[in-house]
Amino acid sequence: MYKILIATRYLIRRHITYFAVLAVALCAFIVLVVMTVLTGLVSDFKLKNHLFTGDCVVGTKTLVGFTYYEDLNRILEQADFIESASAVIQSYALVSPNWTEQGLGLEIMGIDPVRHSMATGFGETLYYHKNDVSEAFEPVFKPDLLGCVLGVEVGNRLGNSLAPQRDPRGGYFYNDRFDESSVSVSCVPLTARGAPAKADLGLINTLNFYYSDYSHSGLARVDGSLVYTPFDQAQWLCGMDGPLKRANAIHIKFKPDVNLQTGCKKVALLLEKFKQEKADEEQAYLLDTVTVQSWKEYRRAHIAAMEKEQTMMTVLFGLVGITTVFIILVVFYMIISHKSKDIGILKSIGVSNADIITLFLGFASSVGLIGAAIGAFGGWLFLRKINQIEQWLFEHFGFQLWDRTIYAIGDIPNQVRFTVLAVIILSAIVACLAGAFIPSRQAARLNPVETLQVSQL
Amino acid sequence: MLKLFLWFRYLRKKKIVFLSIAAAALSTTLLIVVASLFTGFINTLEQTAVQTIGDVVLSAPITFAKYPLFIEQLEKTSAVVAATATLSSQGLLHLGKGDVRAVHIWGIEPARRTKVTGFKKFLRRQGLSDKEPSFEVSDSPNDVGAFIGIAVIAEPNETTDEYDYSAIDRMIGEHVILTTGAKIEADDTSSNGQASSRFKRRTLKLTIADIVQTGVYDLDKGFIYLPIETLQEVLYPNEKESLANQIQIKLTEGIRTDVAIALIRGVWRNFVKQHLNDNPYLISYTDIETAKQMQSQYAGELRKQMGVLLLIFGVVSFSVIVLIFCIFYMIAKLKQRDIAIVKSCGAASGSVALVFLGFGCCVGTVGSGIGAVLAYIITKNINTIEEWIRIIFGMKLWKSSVYMFSKIPNNIDWWAVLPIVLFAIIAATIGTLIPAIVAARTNPVEILRYE
Repeated sequence: MYKILIATRYLIRRHITYFAVLAVALCAFIVLVVMTVLTGLVSDFKLKNHLFTGDCVVGTKTLVGFTYYEDLNRILEQADFIESASAVIQSYALVSPNWTEQGLGLEIMGIDPVRHSMATGFGETLYYHKNDVSEAFEPVFKPDLLGCVLGVEVGNRLGNSLAPQRDPRGGYFYNDRFDESSVSVSCVPLTARGAPAKADLGLINTLNFYYSDYSHSGLARVDGSLVYTPFDQAQWLCGMDGPLKRANAIHIKFKPDVNLQTGCKKVALLLEKFKQEKADEEQAYLLDTVTVQSWKEYRRAHIAAMEKEQTMMTVLFGLVGITTVFIILVVFYMIISHKSKDIGILKSIGVSNADIITLFLGFASSVGLIGAAIGAFGGWLFLRKINQIEQWLFEHFGFQLWDRTIYAIGDIPNQVRFTVLAVIILSAIVACLAGAFIPSRQAARLNPVETLQVSQL
Repeated sequence: MLKLFLWFRYLRKKKIVFLSIAAAALSTTLLIVVASLFTGFINTLEQTAVQTIGDVVLSAPITFAKYPLFIEQLEKTSAVVAATATLSSQGLLHLGKGDVRAVHIWGIEPARRTKVTGFKKFLRRQGLSDKEPSFEVSDSPNDVGAFIGIAVIAEPNETTDEYDYSAIDRMIGEHVILTTGAKIEADDTSSNGQASSRFKRRTLKLTIADIVQTGVYDLDKGFIYLPIETLQEVLYPNEKESLANQIQIKLTEGIRTDVAIALIRGVWRNFVKQHLNDNPYLISYTDIETAKQMQSQYAGELRKQMGVLLLIFGVVSFSVIVLIFCIFYMIAKLKQRDIAIVKSCGAASGSVALVFLGFGCCVGTVGSGIGAVLAYIITKNINTIEEWIRIIFGMKLWKSSVYMFSKIPNNIDWWAVLPIVLFAIIAATIGTLIPAIVAARTNPVEILRYE
């Protein structure tokens, strides 16, 4: 009880303690704001990648693809842990609007829009056909034409004046008029051995598509370089529609209660069994390069960079936090210097060294807790208004934290996460304990006979 | 003299002062390193742009003819040292079994380009040779040679971010197939009844004559270079005149860029008027910009991010002021008797305050000095540090595929060092202000009383 009383007394009476609380609060405030924004950005980016990919991908890196994908798709869909599976064609294409003499090298993805929307978040990224994905490839102005879905930034890259325009807040402005022009999409058809199918004739496959919709996944690279086409047409373009049809990947969504790793392991087992069953079939060698990856592994190259930046930022704040440890050390050193008589009296009535250390470490914890709580509260208030503040700055000074015409970021993430908050408060307490430890030990070593000498009083 | 004596005494007796020096050094180091890395990145971005595309770039909205004549006219002006033409397109490159990439195609004049940019030194094979670079394939003079970006044919190692150069060098002399296209043709119907090509697609068998490594991942990843004449033959087979859609220009040393651009614009207008039928589209929509201007939006955004980051760390560094305040307040309180004796010997309150302010200033100077030296060491060795982090923690922090450049720019930003050091000294002095006032207001009569 006396420990609480003395700690509270020091906390209130020793004004120097307020500076320690202030320093902790300042650090907690900044760290909470920065980490909330960073964590929000990383989580948002991961979520968008997850929605783009689905839970798991069975596929091969080579553009040749693999055979018997229909059988594999059927087996996967019959599995009790899988909700849906969608086979896709992936390749590169030369895409040329009909009014220009030049083309753009882009990625194409051939999909069945309904299946793909069940396996991934594709349907949610559409603008005109969000409510009826089955018509995703039907141009609104003339549904019987062959349509393609452009990544929301691809239209601008193709020089299409009616393409959605990015607004300064990171959203898109969609034109009321439909663009009725077409694009020609050309691909190099590959044989099962990977050679160009018509190289000797100097031919490649080309199809004309009309714009049917735009897909806004929120992933800059995807939105700026991907064109979705119907599965069958993409298969023909890539030369995968022979007697033994091929596809590049199968995107899978697990049932809600299925753990990601468990699900991927089960898919890997199914794939192994499937490979064995097909071992003697024609072109079965193409299955050798097929692997199973969770969405995190599949998009690792993109996600890892952001996670590393978050880690680096944490390390930098850790370094800055050392100053807070120093402040606590100095404040406690001062308090102990001034309160040597209190300590002498406590020890003279039988309080042990460990109790003295506990007393000061408890005091340090209170400083950490109060400082972190004040900083966190301030941070929370600031984060609540961060988007309004940015909006105000933009309106009055033209300042944006991120230029939304360059970065695929919408609002600044401002949802404080419990884990981030807990880590910050715990770190603040640990920093205070670290800073107070040496002075506390020094206090415990004080000799009451010396500190309570008449000459010292 | 007395002040110096007291400073050294406090420094010797009160080891805790070293904490304030350490904190000031830490904050200064952090701020200088952050500023230097950002500025280094921005500078490298701008320098690389000049190295790869020249000082000034003239980009026409459509291809234009008779570019050799325009270049001749440009080179006659005092502003231009050399100029070279580029014809650009895009295509699909088949590199081998199942390996197709989308690539940007640049038709270039390698010898002239070398005079305008640092192109030659980017070539792996011909970079060290005394001869002018060329597309000639040594063993097969009839083959069409091409230069290919290093990251088109190989990805850097996932762990080390280094290329396998022996494998890459083996690619020189290999054949690749490029598909590109141009000009609208009549519709056609394919065998399965689907509408076929509306564009004339051309495939071209090329031999890799050399590998280009600019050090900028996006350029190395997406570009293939052909002789400009060959690309023109492929894209515009019926065109007799030489075509280009971009002119890259090297300016005379020391000339003001706005003057040079105005001069180039004048030459361009005259050229269009005289030789291109005064095409208003070519006059109005042709961009003439310096390479730095072309990067300005991105560079500006990077500068803004640097400012935000420095502000955040600057605010956090505010705690250094609190730390210095605490330490000096403690000294002022513990050394009241010293102060009282000094005052009783006739020292004015102002002099006593100056002892503390001067001491704070010294702490700031020493701390920021150490910080600046540390920052210099860290920044200069940032690539080694990053490599050691990879070896020890297995984490590759810097990847060219993410941050464009293969190496972390490691130049110290001296323009940032000065304000940061000054800021640290001022902050340290501010931190000692209240303790100095407390010390100055010490009443020697009260402190030195016998009771």
